[in-house]
Amino acid sequence: MKPLVISAHTLTSANGTGRQANADALHQGDSGLRPCDLDSVRLDTHIGRVAGVEDIALADHLAPFQCRNHQLAELGLRQDGFAEAIGTARERYGAGRIAVLMGTSTSGIAATEQAYHRRDPSTGELPPDYDYQHTQNMFSLADFVATRLGLRGPAMVVSTACSSSAKVFADAERFIAAGLCDAAVVGGVDSLCGMTLYGFNALQLVAPGPCRPLHTERAGISIGEAAGFFLLEKTDSGAAGPRLIGHGESSDAHHMSAPHPEGLGAARAMEQALARAQRPAGAIDYVLMHATATPANDRSEARALARLFGAHSRAAGTKGLTGHTLGAAGAVGVAQALESLERGFVPATAGLDHPDPELELDARGAAEERDIRHVLVNAFGFGGNNCSLLLEAA
Amino acid sequence: MKVGIAAIGLLGPGLADFASARPVLAGQKAHELTPVAIPPTTLLPANERRRTTDTIRLALKVAEEATTDCDRSQLRSVFASSSGDMDIIDRICEALTQPEPMVSPVQFHNSVHNAPAGNWSIATGNPAPATAISGFTATLAAGLLEAATLQQAEGGEVLLAAYDVASMPTFRRARPVTEPFAVALRLGPAGARRPTLELTLGEAGDPTPCRQDALEALRGTNPAARALPLLEVLARGEGGHVTLAAPLGRSLEIRVTP
Repeated sequence: MKPLVISAHTLTSANGTGRQANADALHQGDSGLRPCDLDSVRLDTHIGRVAGVEDIALADHLAPFQCRNHQLAELGLRQDGFAEAIGTARERYGAGRIAVLMGTSTSGIAATEQAYHRRDPSTGELPPDYDYQHTQNMFSLADFVATRLGLRGPAMVVSTACSSSAKVFADAERFIAAGLCDAAVVGGVDSLCGMTLYGFNALQLVAPGPCRPLHTERAGISIGEAAGFFLLEKTDSGAAGPRLIGHGESSDAHHMSAPHPEGLGAARAMEQALARAQRPAGAIDYVLMHATATPANDRSEARALARLFGAHSRAAGTKGLTGHTLGAAGAVGVAQALESLERGFVPATAGLDHPDPELELDARGAAEERDIRHVLVNAFGFGGNNCSLLLEAA
Repeated sequence: MKVGIAAIGLLGPGLADFASARPVLAGQKAHELTPVAIPPTTLLPANERRRTTDTIRLALKVAEEATTDCDRSQLRSVFASSSGDMDIIDRICEALTQPEPMVSPVQFHNSVHNAPAGNWSIATGNPAPATAISGFTATLAAGLLEAATLQQAEGGEVLLAAYDVASMPTFRRARPVTEPFAVALRLGPAGARRPTLELTLGEAGDPTPCRQDALEALRGTNPAARALPLLEVLARGEGGHVTLAAPLGRSLEIRVTP
């Protein structure tokens, strides 16, 4: 494939708003996970909550979009000069030539959860001010981002659970190659809500304390929220920056909520990313794993890594920092990988004082300083939906 | 972008499948507004079949119909739905209003937008990539663009299934989808012996209405039913031009060559 330049990006997560705060946490292994303090949720668990989301007010033409997911999206778009960078790109390419491809798993479902609490007691009707189109509907995230940034290119939301915002990078590559657009704004936003917290709890996949990826005593996920955005341009555009050089997608065809035990689908996605980039496995400095910290997920992914890279390959898992941000996980992984490429370190796997020997990985509790050229980023979701992205330093 | 159509699947009010609906779509037989009966999928084992929902069955029905004459185990797929599984969302949001919320684990894993895609890959033993997208009421156009770019990128065939269930009474005002509807198009390389679609993303334009009043009345009832004007052209076996609404107020211009 023809590589794409990632010419601007930003990340907001429980580690903080903007790139610097996230890079610092990634380097120092500072976890953003805290005991759950959401008003609507009474579960004994830790969450990765973004500070300040509730204070964001969407005004004027953005007012109908008001809900936690778009408040978080807006907070994210305000960081690192990202919205300004898109303004410049819009001047250059035209609003209709920049695609808007977003990933989310639950969109603005929190607005619907709140509306259900306010139903008419006699008729059961949802309250008249409830706006389904601009909050809960899956497409509303792309609609919000496009409206906010003044873009009118091809647009859609990909919602394949926890691989959603990784797959949009592959879509951007295909859309640009097909001539549908000249550049693409891609990203992912998912926000805390009752549905995912109680749902994952019902599946008994939630850890009581902060999640511990790749740890001997890992006991499930911690749910987080995040917003990550990226501008992708062609290499011949003159844009400078790190590059997306490969992507791979696959299906496990195994189970709706459990990974393939041998990680066959995960391995296939990684193989394809390497093949598209025409890079050997030996060129990869480390794999930024999906590593959700459930016993089965980490085991399956470790087996996939062993298949491609042999035993004790260098790897990191970052969900102990941010929590599992579900549909935003791909965007979080890419943004974290970009910090490690630019600043030269392998991220810390937070809380990893006892790596699970059965996984046969070289993952460490502290960051390691060294030059990084190539990182493979994994994002896997329910339905056995896998995506792997290969990034190269500028 | 040019793509060929290898097969079509269909399910809507009075439209049980594409073969039997063809005379209706071609204007040779009157349309009767009979309610939709969603058949169970034959592809999943009994245990898995029991766990499926109307949304999953709707998507799998048309996907199955459009793939009877091909190798399902290698086909890439695009599952396009405006809203996903609204029945489950209704039940989970209801559960969350209780003092001690109890969410069903099976309902939760089926609540993801890609539940039909996941069930399809499991049912067909298919390791190829599958995706699930939304473009609100322009989901069909978004799905066509996604499936066509996949076809152009890798060659071969790509399955597109577009579907939405009707709203529960609670949602009828907020989400006025009043009939269940699903359509599948199996896309392949453009070529002789099959109809070809030439797709162009337009600036804006009024969507093409159906030729027949009875079908035009259905077109607005469901985002997937926006396919009806295109299906009319394909059923007649003639060429033509169809404009669909695309996301963000754009249009998708489709030139059909028989």
